[in-house]
Amino acid sequence: MAVTSIPPVTAPPTGPAPPGEPLIVGRPDAFRRRLARLGWEFTAPALFVVGIVTIFPIVFSVVMSLTHVTLSVSGFHIGSFTWGNYSLILKSSTWQYALGFTVVYTVITVIVELFLGTCIALVLERLVRGRGVMMALLLIPWSLITVISAELWAYIYDPSFGIADRLLHGLGLGSPTILGSNVSAIIAMMIADIWKTTPFVAIIVLAGLMMIPQDVYEAAEVDGANSWTTFWRITFPLLRPTIALAVLFRVLQAFNLFDLPYVLTSGGPGHATTSLAILGHQVMFTDLSFGPGAAIATSTALLVVVGCFMFLRVFRAQVGKEEL
Amino acid sequence: MADVELEKVIKVYPNGFTAVHEVTLTVGDGEFVVLVGPSGCGKTTILRMIAGLEDITGGVIKIGEKVVNDLNPKERDIAMVFQNYALYPHMTVAENIGFALKLRKMPKDEIQRKVKEAAHILGLTEWLDRKPAQLSGGQRQRVAMGRAIVREPSVFLMDEPLSNLDAKLRVQMRSEVSRIQRQLGVATVYVTHDQTEAMTMGDRVAVLRDGYLQQYDNPQVLYDNPDNVFVAAFIGSPSMNLYEATLEPGATAVRIGSQTVQLTEQVRIARPALMRYAGRKVVVGLRPEHLPASTNGDGPELKGNVDLVEALGSELLVHFTIDAERVIAEGAHEEDAEDLLKSGEGVARVDPRASIKPGTTATFSVDVERMQFFDPDSDAAIRG
Repeated sequence: MAVTSIPPVTAPPTGPAPPGEPLIVGRPDAFRRRLARLGWEFTAPALFVVGIVTIFPIVFSVVMSLTHVTLSVSGFHIGSFTWGNYSLILKSSTWQYALGFTVVYTVITVIVELFLGTCIALVLERLVRGRGVMMALLLIPWSLITVISAELWAYIYDPSFGIADRLLHGLGLGSPTILGSNVSAIIAMMIADIWKTTPFVAIIVLAGLMMIPQDVYEAAEVDGANSWTTFWRITFPLLRPTIALAVLFRVLQAFNLFDLPYVLTSGGPGHATTSLAILGHQVMFTDLSFGPGAAIATSTALLVVVGCFMFLRVFRAQVGKEEL
Repeated sequence: MADVELEKVIKVYPNGFTAVHEVTLTVGDGEFVVLVGPSGCGKTTILRMIAGLEDITGGVIKIGEKVVNDLNPKERDIAMVFQNYALYPHMTVAENIGFALKLRKMPKDEIQRKVKEAAHILGLTEWLDRKPAQLSGGQRQRVAMGRAIVREPSVFLMDEPLSNLDAKLRVQMRSEVSRIQRQLGVATVYVTHDQTEAMTMGDRVAVLRDGYLQQYDNPQVLYDNPDNVFVAAFIGSPSMNLYEATLEPGATAVRIGSQTVQLTEQVRIARPALMRYAGRKVVVGLRPEHLPASTNGDGPELKGNVDLVEALGSELLVHFTIDAERVIAEGAHEEDAEDLLKSGEGVARVDPRASIKPGTTATFSVDVERMQFFDPDSDAAIRG
């Protein structure tokens, strides 16, 4: 590879400026241009990789979603422009259900995870000894690959030898096939999700808690706040930027829900646990309908981006810019 | 009536470290008391025990005649200003100041009135809607003060409130804090490691070292009659020149290194106990201003080799060396300064017109009546 020589830094002219001419401040334009070009040269390889693995698939997917795509032995054929793929999915009750399911699933799991994660973080913060060990233990579910933890839960929910089934039976709740009925399958999946991701939320919230200076709590104590008021008026407001971050991460992840239903239920029973990602995958790779599949993928991505943007806007308006 | 009373207060931490040893002191009605000492002397611990942020291992703390040992901070009727201000970052200045009142469920318009009043006293009126992040260090400090003032407590507790400000602002705020305290007439316990702050602000100053109270008196007494070597070295800047010396028989003179300084009859009358040290070793202390340049050549004198002359306009600070052992009170100086203090080094404060040049030998008059004497073993002052 050719070694690019770094242009020498030319010092701006010193001494008094000639009368009538403005004093030159900063670097001359030519130098700045050279520096900018050098920057592009350095980042080009990385940009190239990003382009190939990220930008191209995204653009390709958007193009597919807006055209008639046909598949033959010789490969894809991108046909003429159409809104048809979008109007098809928008009218489809399966898509509508998948959207509703994904939204409800995201909202419920994120709220529960946030609640549990905050509780765990508050306990961990007070733990003087063994906090490191507890954090390591807590992170085990989070560090497992989702497909593997999903398989574990599949065993737990197994109708013939799963422990969950036994437990429900022992509690006198009969012997329902957990993953066999709509509501219980959804709840079971939420539990698996919450089990896995609560630690992540707890760690983020703990980091936020540890950023709050101790003397602020002491000031509140002297001011006469009890522990409840301290939490609601001091801890919680100061945690809001952190919580927003956790929510953002979790919403992005939960909205792309795929591996859990893929392993546990394959989107069933019926379409009960078919998320947008599962639906997109099915449409694209099982039905081989690339146009509508791409339309599902693109619209999901768009929804997430718009949703997160709106969330940040609302949040920022509430806490003020300087804190986020 | 004493507003705060400490009786043999002890603090032992769970790891067995005793931070405060049987400290007894009282803060009178509306009095401004400064706790001063080097870091780790227990001053902040004492303040936090008064505030209720730290448990008391032994002894009794009373606020306004009431024993508060087992009361929560909020039940003690105190207000505290923290070193890092501890403002609530998510609240505006007005909300910060009014928070305690809001918790007391005071009516909104009354809170507003009190907040405005405090803001007026502190010159914060135009910043009431700002958040702490948008304020300068000095403004934040004033908000912290405002938060304390508005509560109308019976005691103010201040933990090094000026230490985060730059030098110029610190001097300005020093008089500002004193002014506000006098205006409100609320008893105040103020912690600092800066002896100048202690001397200029305190009605009385408690000097602490390693958890022991060294001396508790008004600043002038601390300066003129320090109880021990530590207080002598800690109070005053430049600090007192302390040397190992030997008292001649009959306490007629004191030998400092190879030089002999004659003592007058007045010295022996003022300190009859000196006679017991006749012929024995003592520690002598001389403030820099008690070593003026000698003009006429009579009276007790001390000769020193001049190392450095600092011209301050109103005076010259002459750094000199004599052939005597300098006594260093551990912790009384900044750590680095301790290493820099050479054996035999001293400082004299002389008239700016005196022609003293580095590298020469200078003769200083010795104001023997202001000379301090200490027991070399116990470090205690020799008086009475």
